[in-house]
Amino acid sequence: MTIFLQLVASGVAVGMIYAAIAFGYQLTFATSKTLNFGQGEALALGALFGLTLVPFTGYWLMLPLVLIFGFALGAVVERLGVRPAVKIKSEYGWIMATIALGIIFRNVAENIWGRDDLKFPSPLPETALSFEGIRVLPMELLIVAGALLMMLAVELFNRKSIWGKAVVATSNDIDAAGLMGINTRKVITLSYSISAMTAAFAGVLVAPVTLTGATMGAVLALKAFAVAIIGGLESGLGVIVGGLILGIVETLTGFYISTGYKDVPGLILLLLVLAVRPVGLFGKAVIKKV
Amino acid sequence: MRLPFTALAAALVCATALAGSAQAADPIKIGVSGPFTGGSSSMGVSMRDGVRLAVAEINKKGGVLGRQLQIVERDDEAKNEVGAQVAQELINKEKVVATLGFINTGVALAAQRFYQEAEIPVINNVATGTIITNQFNPPDYDANYVFRTSAYDVLQAGMMADEAIARGFKKIAILADSTNYGQLGREDLEKYLKAKGVTPVAVEKFNIKDVDMTAQLLKSQAAGADVILAYGIGPELGQIANGMAKLGWKVPMITSWPASMQSFIDIAGANGNGVTMPQTFIEDQTLPRRKAFLEGYYSTFKVNKIPTPVAGAQGYDSVYLLAAAIQQAGSTSGPKIRAALEDLKEKVEGVVTTYDKPFTKTDHNAITRNMVVFGKVQDGRIVYAKEEDAKNAGVIRVKEKASN
Repeated sequence: MTIFLQLVASGVAVGMIYAAIAFGYQLTFATSKTLNFGQGEALALGALFGLTLVPFTGYWLMLPLVLIFGFALGAVVERLGVRPAVKIKSEYGWIMATIALGIIFRNVAENIWGRDDLKFPSPLPETALSFEGIRVLPMELLIVAGALLMMLAVELFNRKSIWGKAVVATSNDIDAAGLMGINTRKVITLSYSISAMTAAFAGVLVAPVTLTGATMGAVLALKAFAVAIIGGLESGLGVIVGGLILGIVETLTGFYISTGYKDVPGLILLLLVLAVRPVGLFGKAVIKKV
Repeated sequence: MRLPFTALAAALVCATALAGSAQAADPIKIGVSGPFTGGSSSMGVSMRDGVRLAVAEINKKGGVLGRQLQIVERDDEAKNEVGAQVAQELINKEKVVATLGFINTGVALAAQRFYQEAEIPVINNVATGTIITNQFNPPDYDANYVFRTSAYDVLQAGMMADEAIARGFKKIAILADSTNYGQLGREDLEKYLKAKGVTPVAVEKFNIKDVDMTAQLLKSQAAGADVILAYGIGPELGQIANGMAKLGWKVPMITSWPASMQSFIDIAGANGNGVTMPQTFIEDQTLPRRKAFLEGYYSTFKVNKIPTPVAGAQGYDSVYLLAAAIQQAGSTSGPKIRAALEDLKEKVEGVVTTYDKPFTKTDHNAITRNMVVFGKVQDGRIVYAKEEDAKNAGVIRVKEKASN
């Protein structure tokens, strides 16, 4: 039983890493029906930027600076990659553009920080805590708490602030929102900024557990993409549940079946969800009127 | 008509004369191919700096055949396709006389066939894949142009397995990464253990960039493993050490040589202490030759530790071996250098060992098992794992005849 619970605990930690990244996909998809395929690179840039700041500012003061950095990065991605495509109603232009921007960001990061995997200083002690035989790193707890707090903050922003309400209105019906006087273009930019901000934050959050480097986001962003699809691309709750499912399934498969097949059940789950419920477990089924 | 012809002839004579005189003073170009950026860059940079140091020393003493050595460095980024491009550039454009390098087995396999075809010798000074030196074996090929100064995988796997058995461990768990390197190493380990009548209690796999090793480690723990044999490179080996600390489970860990990489030391920190791995070279200054090398390396590159000592030392030695072969061949023609390497008359004093006939026509590996020791991570450095090795640090371990 201890082994099972230990696997679940580690799975939760990994799953929340996926969820924190998947959350960013969900934000931009809600407003503009587009995604930033460079989300993994935004994550890596955030972590590397944070790593550079830590010696000067310390861990906690670094966080707001990374948030600002991510916010600006998102705006750049939207202006350069997404807006031109959305303007001409291109169905796929933004895919190529965000992938291209991601590659550029990765190359820039490689030139500045090199391609070594670096150690990110942990703000918490690195000795594991033991709960009745189940051992958890303090940093893993911080990841879970930080990711939940981040999602909560974005949710609150959407529900309470005027800008947030504009985001929700745009998500519900972009044309109606535009007719009601909402500047939907600005709202889309804002959603990209918040999305990249969450990615950059997720980057510094997970970096002490994963490793830091220009390619750290590649595998994580792909897993997070699967999470977003399993949970539903329009649901914040969905990505949390999706992340936990994938994380736990991975560690359990690794132990009870084979570590060689660790990634397989997650992908089978992805195919199943796509076959049975294409909008994801928590997605809203809408009929697209043409 | 007469005048232009004379002019042309004169010009031709001049040009030939110029080319001739340029030839005599021309430096001897040696290619260096390795990853100087990226995940295995600590190995690549150490190797390159070892090469640079040796070349500078040789040039100071007047070079080889009265000509200076010139190195042409290219970053292969640890990518097979880039390695193949670099090989073609070095051969066709730079017209190198020989090439030193290759950290990654995949890159070596993708690139060295170009050297084989061009009949230009290449000395692998870090890559360990067993197949590397066997790719162009006679009689399938007239001559093999691929040499190596590192300890190949079958040799390392055998050492790791024997070490585990010798230390009295009964339940062995194998963890290997999912790359060619890790899986070939795992195969070697399993084969060797089988020959010794030992069945590992767990054989687990992990991916490059895996975040969480809980499942692999718990399986080993549940199987009652009392030792872990891990085949992988620095960052993931570091994650394994950290994962064990997280689970509060401590059994000895014996790894393939990359646990001596700086990235392992950085990532694992205190959790890496006590991890042992096969090494051809330990940073130890007992012998004057090694002392001079280390002092030269530290002062030239302004460090107090070689990032990956084995790569630095093997890179350094590969230059001296090549220089001796060119000297003996009395020429820079590829086949002649190859023949000289296969029958080196002069003893070459390197820092790993003193090379006395390191290669023969059928044996292109300079390192034999008796020359490799176990290193141990201790507070950020690699030291001798065994006291008798530390005591015998002043004894040069030379190649055993015909044991490869």
